[in-house]
Amino acid sequence: MKMLHNIKQFLEDLAEVCQAEWGRIFGNTGVLLIIFVAGVGYPLIFNGIYTQENLYDVPVAVVDDARCEESERFIHKMDATPEIEVRYEASSMAEAKRLMANRKVNGIIHFPSDYGERLARLETARVGVFCDMSSFLYYKSVFMGANFTMLDEMKQIEFTRYGLTGITGEQANTLVNPVGYDDVKLFVPGGGFTSFLIPALLILVIQQTLFFGVGMLGGTAREEGAELSAVPARLRRRHYDRVVLGRAMAYTVIYSALVAVDLFLIPRLFNLPHIAQVDQLALFLLPFLLSVCFLSISCASLFRHRESGIITLVFSSIILLFLSGFAWPQSSMPDFWRHFSYLFPSTHAVQGFVRMNSMGATLHEVSFEYLMLWALTLVYFVTACLSVGSGVRRCAHRHSYRRRVHDTV
Amino acid sequence: MKTLFDKLSNVLQRELTRIMAHPRYLIFATLGIAFSYVFFLTLMRDGQPQKLPIAIVDEDGSYLSRRLCHEIEATQGVHVARVYNSHEEARAAMQRQEIYAFLHIPHGTYNDVLAFKAPHIVLYANNAYLLSGTLSYKQLMTICNLAAGAVQREVLRKKGMGEEQIMGLIMPIEIDAHLVGNPMANYQSYLLTTILPGILGLMVILLTVFSIGIESREGTDREWLATAGNRMGVAMVGKLLPYACWFALLQLVGNLVLFGFCHFPMQGSYLTLAVCSILFVLAMMSAGVFFYGLIPQVTNAVCVSAFYGILAFSLSGFTYPVSGMARPLQALSVVFPLRQNYLVYVNEALFGLPLANSYVHLCILALFLLLPLLTNSRIKKQILSHENAA
Repeated sequence: MKMLHNIKQFLEDLAEVCQAEWGRIFGNTGVLLIIFVAGVGYPLIFNGIYTQENLYDVPVAVVDDARCEESERFIHKMDATPEIEVRYEASSMAEAKRLMANRKVNGIIHFPSDYGERLARLETARVGVFCDMSSFLYYKSVFMGANFTMLDEMKQIEFTRYGLTGITGEQANTLVNPVGYDDVKLFVPGGGFTSFLIPALLILVIQQTLFFGVGMLGGTAREEGAELSAVPARLRRRHYDRVVLGRAMAYTVIYSALVAVDLFLIPRLFNLPHIAQVDQLALFLLPFLLSVCFLSISCASLFRHRESGIITLVFSSIILLFLSGFAWPQSSMPDFWRHFSYLFPSTHAVQGFVRMNSMGATLHEVSFEYLMLWALTLVYFVTACLSVGSGVRRCAHRHSYRRRVHDTV
Repeated sequence: MKTLFDKLSNVLQRELTRIMAHPRYLIFATLGIAFSYVFFLTLMRDGQPQKLPIAIVDEDGSYLSRRLCHEIEATQGVHVARVYNSHEEARAAMQRQEIYAFLHIPHGTYNDVLAFKAPHIVLYANNAYLLSGTLSYKQLMTICNLAAGAVQREVLRKKGMGEEQIMGLIMPIEIDAHLVGNPMANYQSYLLTTILPGILGLMVILLTVFSIGIESREGTDREWLATAGNRMGVAMVGKLLPYACWFALLQLVGNLVLFGFCHFPMQGSYLTLAVCSILFVLAMMSAGVFFYGLIPQVTNAVCVSAFYGILAFSLSGFTYPVSGMARPLQALSVVFPLRQNYLVYVNEALFGLPLANSYVHLCILALFLLLPLLTNSRIKKQILSHENAA
């Protein structure tokens, strides 16, 4: 009977804290702006900026000093690749370099004057490829385009050369391709920049807006001296865990809606990879949301001014984006930073989200990340309780001090 | 009658006293910038990811597959982390992110090679991770081509051909790649030369807005204006001068660290880059003043500036080129100082072009300095009109 009563009391406490928290959130314009406008706006804006997966038809200039049949065939083939468009035929390297300096082209393909002669003499001919390194996407397109063309041309030339040495037909064929290979790009076949960057950004948006929304709530309460208002009177001495759980419940309910929009709807709306099973992904995201809630509650007392919160927000977002290991691979990170990155829910969530949603991994394949998220949930739950406890005590102390001063006066 | 110079020095002294009394913000901003230098320089210390883990699915277990393993181990970019027996195992390992790519060598490949049956091996690369997927794909493709060449060479040798003739047969064309300005395709020098100034610019604009806005929140703005003899321009210059000097200095030290200490490629003039750095800091400050003039409420102005500063990373076009964006965005990119800073960096460091090419970008940065003129009177009116809290 006692236990039943306790459980009832527990649930009532949770409900009360949760309701009080909703009241605070919906009464604070700044927090609403961060959660709903930034939380939905940023994903939309980034999708608006990065509309293409890859760069197609990157403009290049060719300098054809050889002017032979073979070089012209090479140029035509290259122009036909999706990566490269031959936009200028420059008369000299100097002219081509001028074109590149003025950003008319992002690559130069140079055929030396002996290109045809060398091919005729059955020697190795050279093609010069100059890549614009100002963006690695230019480099990737120009280099790949030229490389694919070269491989194709090589096969054709090899074939004719074998013919000259008396090897023809099927035998020449097998000699040209003694070990063929097929390349399969797994998971995001046409994928490129967008389906690589946006999923990581989506996770970060969820974490960062929640973290700073809660931080702003704490900061506002501090500025107004109303830190205790959200804690029911009977919970001010013990049961801080109920305060923490109640608050986390309030945030989790609101953020479930935001997660539904940002992580489930937006990938479908903008045709980003979304192959994870909905129930599995939801299960994976649960400890992510909880750990971010508890982390936010733990740190909420750190923000004195709303502005310093925003400054920290933008700064930490950039660092966390790189720590999440999506751009610079985790396997190449120094151990120190890799271990440091494990402290943040976003690291595990980005890894898990990308692998489940883009690569079709199940919970089983992301078990390390999943367990880490639950571990973080536990750890940050404890720190959140400690933080709320010390906040309440500090505040109560101040109040009783004020009352004493008031009484003596 | 005090001269203009006296007024300026009064405001300057007032601001220095204020900074000394509350050095927290300046210290935090500086520590943030220092942290980002240390963070990024240590995070990507290899320049390019080395020894990316890949796997081999070896159903053949032959001389050929062992030899491919050796070839792969000899490269810098990738290394064989595991050998699997089945495709499913390798695919699951990829989903666990243990490997970025794998080669599938089917059963009987070597025998087929010996029997001239032209077998096929299959190269699988993870396309969900752009950098590691592309790099391991490129490496494995090269190795596959080399392997084909090695088999050809052996067959032709047995036919009694000379080395030179063989080379001409199996390698009719060769590509001479010139990566202009960044010969090693170093990721560090590519990303950091724009990310780090971007972070500094972000700090500059936020601190500018904050230090102006805090005056009106604390009700000291009339006194500030009075110190400058009611001249908004003087008040602004005197107030922001310490920040401008400090952050310009930080930016110059940053250049020194990147191009001097870390030896990032630099083909052009250090002087032009230094001028650009100083103009960049001043342009970001001017943008901050302008935003505060438009929205004279410190929290909102900080929010808008933060948004502007973050958007600058995307619209500078250093990762995803501006030329690949929609037309309106291409036009919009001009109003981000980070974009101009990046273009000057490319001109100087990568191409080593004469000043004439960077001239226009420096001028655009200088134009930003005119922005506060548009809003100064508005800020002044706002200071004089509102009920003074003090």
